[in-house]
Amino acid sequence: MLDILSLLDITFFLLAALGALVGIIFGAIPGMTATMAVAVCLPLTYALGLNHGLALLLGLYVGGISGGMVPAVLLNIPGTPSSITTTFDGFPMAQKGEGERALRVCVVASLIGGLISAIVLFLFAPVLAEFSIKFSYVEKFLIILLALTVIASMSRNMLVGIFSGVLGIWLSLIGTYSISDGGNGHTRLMFDFLEPYLFEGFSLLPVLIGIFGIATILLEAEEGVKSGLAGKNIEFGKGGGFSFGIFKGRLTNLVRSSFIGTFVGMLPGVGGSAASVLAYTQEKNLSRDSSEMGKGAPQGLMASESANNALTGGALIPLLSLGIPGDSTTAILIGAFTLQGIQVGPLFIPENADTWYLMMIALVFANVVMFFLMFYAIKHIAKVVLVPKYILYPIIVMMCVVGAYAINYGIMFDVWTLLIFGVLGYLIQKVGLEVAPLIIGFILGGQAEVYFVKSLESFGTYSIFFTKSPIAVVLWGLIAASVAFSVTMSLKSRAKRRLEASS
Amino acid sequence: MESGLSSLLSVSIDFETSHLFFPHIIHWLMGGLFALILVFNVAPFLVAVRRGERTLPILGESMDKFRFFGTLALIVAYFYLMSVVGNFFPYTGYGFLFVSMAFLFLMSLMYMHTRTKRKVITAAINALVAPSLAWFILAKLFQITLP
Repeated sequence: MLDILSLLDITFFLLAALGALVGIIFGAIPGMTATMAVAVCLPLTYALGLNHGLALLLGLYVGGISGGMVPAVLLNIPGTPSSITTTFDGFPMAQKGEGERALRVCVVASLIGGLISAIVLFLFAPVLAEFSIKFSYVEKFLIILLALTVIASMSRNMLVGIFSGVLGIWLSLIGTYSISDGGNGHTRLMFDFLEPYLFEGFSLLPVLIGIFGIATILLEAEEGVKSGLAGKNIEFGKGGGFSFGIFKGRLTNLVRSSFIGTFVGMLPGVGGSAASVLAYTQEKNLSRDSSEMGKGAPQGLMASESANNALTGGALIPLLSLGIPGDSTTAILIGAFTLQGIQVGPLFIPENADTWYLMMIALVFANVVMFFLMFYAIKHIAKVVLVPKYILYPIIVMMCVVGAYAINYGIMFDVWTLLIFGVLGYLIQKVGLEVAPLIIGFILGGQAEVYFVKSLESFGTYSIFFTKSPIAVVLWGLIAASVAFSVTMSLKSRAKRRLEASS
Repeated sequence: MESGLSSLLSVSIDFETSHLFFPHIIHWLMGGLFALILVFNVAPFLVAVRRGERTLPILGESMDKFRFFGTLALIVAYFYLMSVVGNFFPYTGYGFLFVSMAFLFLMSLMYMHTRTKRKVITAAINALVAPSLAWFILAKLFQITLP
């Protein structure tokens, strides 16, 4: 335990706090997300050690998710997708002149959500990791298959979701079948003249930064980069009016929403909007006084914000115990780990106990900093909503370039990768494919191949995937369940639409 | 029957071509899924387009052509010139510094909807300060390679 204390220096806390502040700013600017904040700030961690780098990134993550509440309440624009339900009750409150009160409710709810999910993470991740240590290649492959199925079944359209995931896997296979993974070192899926550039395939981080940074800029450019917010009035209302009494009798709501958020966060690739929408509708269905929800009821804010901040801890659970990212932001965290030469997976927690405890400290600390920053300085922070985009976007492109170029110590092809995947990300979103499954497919594709081919090489039959162990059977059951869930949901919504159309 | 099924499921992978084994499966999967999507999603969508209920993505939508293609062109020029200029001053990061300044300023100008003197000056100051700061922190303090 003493070793850990010696690793905690002032820099560690400063970086976590700085991360939270920058994250809040990113989150507060509509169109910029926590994922982007982490992607853009990655180059700063190259020079930091693992622990300091993680402190910064976790701060960014927590800050970025909670920052989305600011424009949601004040301008009726969700700053990040996960704060969409915050607009339902937040904006009506702001119109009534209760903007600051609404934000403070959100901040407290966010803190509770963040802390509850951190506790769940702390208790649950090591258990899951210990359980999964015994997995052989067969089970590992099935876990990846399960992850991809879950993502796909949560997509708007399951077929499109699966296709996006498979496309991601395909992209990850470009390059060699690496000898270090037991492959034969031949390249595939490319032209010979590209071999010098693509021998190792596309690097993970330029791909992610391209899809989340450059593609966003292109999407905004297409819309004409609306100056939009400048000149708009921000209504805070007269301060005060907030007391902790407002949370009396709301504990069930907060705890329930936090657990919903944590659970949704654990499901790979499922975005934050699912968590807050689910928590919001649950509160609406279950609470006795839900009639005011949607017109400016604090309980709606509590459900939405505690759920979306609870995502942070939840999404880290599969990342740290199985090596599977829970959402796009944690996907970028995988990149940060790889950069420091650390493989996330079942062995991460037992082998890096110090880092694990430090991450927990950083996560809790970032939540606390987020709370104080937002609770007391919200009026000043909220002004960044008005920073014009013609200043911001060029800076973002520049930071993307730095991140991509420096990742492999100066390879210009990585910068071009940014552009390739920026354009690809733009096209994908335009034709209606899904980004989240594609990214998860890209990250897990290489491992999936190795586990799959090695299993077949050693057992010589496809039936091994069903008969290897009881766990394999359970995993197949879960895969079938998630497919069935998705099919019934789509049938239900189709029936509902038909009903609405006919009435 | 039993042996027939197990021989159907048995497989042996030749090491020399093992790098193509998994990609083959993925190709078949992709092809199959794509066909399904064509039938269930694309075809109904095109019918709706023909009836005028929906519009084609990208082609059928109104877009800010100037800013969209301008952004693409600027980014391409930025990436290209960065390494060209960088080669004049190897290992200094000057290529990044100077080209970034020009890029930031031009992109800011392009994204402005109305140009007032004050806005242009803000953009110019930003274009000078932001790359310098990034260059100083990354290249000088952290010793990170820049073009």
